Amino acid sequence: MSILFDNKTPVVVQGVTGKEGSYWTRHMRDLGTNVVAGVTPGKGGGEQDGIPVYDHAAEAVERHGAQASMIFVPPRFTKNAVFEALDAGIKLIVTIADGIPLHEMAEIRTRARSNGAMVIGGNTSGVISPGVAMMGCFPYWIGRVYKEGRVGVMTRSGSLTNEVTSMVVAAGYGVSTLAGVGGDSIPGTRFAELLPLYEADPGTDAVVIIGELGGTMEEEAAELMRKGAFTKPLVAFLGGRTAPAGVRMGHAGAIATGGKGSVKDKIEALESAGALVADRPSRVGVLLRQALGAGQ
Amino acid sequence: MKLFEYQAKEVFAEQGITVPRGVVADSPEAARQAARDVGVPCMVKAQLLRGGRGKLGLVKRAATADEAARLTADIMASSYGVRKVLVEACAHIAQEVYLSISMEPVSAKAMVMLCPSGGVEIEELARTAPEKILKGYIALEEGVSGRMLDKLLGAAGFSAPVEAQMRTLIERLYQTFRQYDAELAEINPVFVTPEETVVAGDGKLIIDDNSMFRQPRFEKTREHYASDMEFEAAKQGIPYIQFDGDISLMCAGAGLTTAVYDLINYEGGKVANYLEFGGPHYTKAETAMRICLENRSSVILIVTFGTIARADVIAEGVIKACEKLRPDRPLVTCIRGTNEEEAHAALKAAGLECLTDTEEAVRRAVAYAKEAKSR
Repeated sequence: MSILFDNKTPVVVQGVTGKEGSYWTRHMRDLGTNVVAGVTPGKGGGEQDGIPVYDHAAEAVERHGAQASMIFVPPRFTKNAVFEALDAGIKLIVTIADGIPLHEMAEIRTRARSNGAMVIGGNTSGVISPGVAMMGCFPYWIGRVYKEGRVGVMTRSGSLTNEVTSMVVAAGYGVSTLAGVGGDSIPGTRFAELLPLYEADPGTDAVVIIGELGGTMEEEAAELMRKGAFTKPLVAFLGGRTAPAGVRMGHAGAIATGGKGSVKDKIEALESAGALVADRPSRVGVLLRQALGAGQ
Repeated sequence: MKLFEYQAKEVFAEQGITVPRGVVADSPEAARQAARDVGVPCMVKAQLLRGGRGKLGLVKRAATADEAARLTADIMASSYGVRKVLVEACAHIAQEVYLSISMEPVSAKAMVMLCPSGGVEIEELARTAPEKILKGYIALEEGVSGRMLDKLLGAAGFSAPVEAQMRTLIERLYQTFRQYDAELAEINPVFVTPEETVVAGDGKLIIDDNSMFRQPRFEKTREHYASDMEFEAAKQGIPYIQFDGDISLMCAGAGLTTAVYDLINYEGGKVANYLEFGGPHYTKAETAMRICLENRSSVILIVTFGTIARADVIAEGVIKACEKLRPDRPLVTCIRGTNEEEAHAALKAAGLECLTDTEEAVRRAVAYAKEAKSR
């Protein structure tokens, strides 16, 4: 099962004729995604690997009923591309761009919310439901990471996701939907906004959060559990437990400031809400087994 | 990118925010002249990007121009690498107020934080008495609203003339925040003088790194980094953080590198440097290794789990770098991901230690570091 989209959801790819866009669009289709159209301004009327290309996202919506958009455009053009998709009425947008200006990301999140839409990213690999469909840039050749199953994964990181998810698979589980919310300080969509979708998904038995220092997304997820809005087992692995205060560890969002964002606070919040927190990647599988029993 | 206080104040002044009269000096002699220009008594403030300058003894009051020169010499001789001081007229202070604007990620609005009782320990206060920090929110598409200001300032208890100046100050600080793509625009403290005027006592402006392409006015210089190596790495586009341990990390991906950093600490090791050569930098193994070798580390730990950045390409880069640089210390590799079988075969053929489990690789690196220490 999947959250967000499945293999029937009509997807438009913005930036489909670019090097990255065309490469990953082929993989998205190989993985089951129903790509119905592409958009590259100035290249309307053409084709890319058999996909019709338009100048504007609105045409993809009118002619092909596109409901979701995958955006492969550079960070500085991302805001315009997202606004174009939102204005065309698209309600699910995934953007992988790494380096979207902070103020523009705030504008993107604001506009998406007032349109009742969801923007996933930026600075993410995207979203994959192994065996169903994929929006983003996940490879299918690493079987010990992207294996079909019943554990949901939400992550702020790319490389660490491979590390942790391989532990989920090694423990005998697979992934229902893996959603990368991204490593920026303002993600378009937050953990707590995805959790209700996992809660409602009959194909998800538990959720793994791959978080890190900085921000309050993990605390918000804990709050949701405390309120009873998320009742499935939740296992978290958080990077930056030993990071010095005030140091930005790689990702733009990975910094504890203003008395907020330390991993210690996050662990306390999650554990007191009933989540299990792994102190190292290899513990994630152990804790999942503890939470779910070995019989899955 | 964090600006120095003098740069932030230059920007603030241009935006119509009142700042104390001040002159930047880069030598004791220049500071003496600066003190004469701004008048004594004056403040001598180290221009340093780290916080807590006051506690480190890097902000001093000088009664005479000679004293300003002497203090400048002391400050510049300190171990903090101070290259400039700001010599500033002393303000008379009746009240100190904390004011900042930052981006609040949940609402995606700009958040004004105001604390009428000052902000010396603002982070501590945010934890222990958050109710003392007043907050107001600004929707980017609407800008500062009179209603928000009424509510925020109504709760602050300022006199009418101070309140009026605070309104303008917040409007101008917001304008600065927007114009400069700021992550944070902060004045800590705002001075309220006995004459009821409002002056920016300090200035902090952090420009969002993702927006630097459209903020050409400021450029990162050596002064923005704590060490030569951090500056060198930044010029190469390689994310790098200097620590003082003995294990060099040469990893791929921010999240994974941070997780490895934690694992080293759990295992009783100490990290010499954080370095990412993944993502778009994955072909930069040689540069990355050279930077690691410049550290006084005793082992280099390479951990990657790349998908787009292929394992075989990374391994090839590492092998070539070794051939060229002939590292004088052990290397532990744990390179996985796309085409990892080819990567492992190549690493083994080159005689490199090739592990496939991150935690095992960390333990191995920590053991090497301990061994080196005991020698």
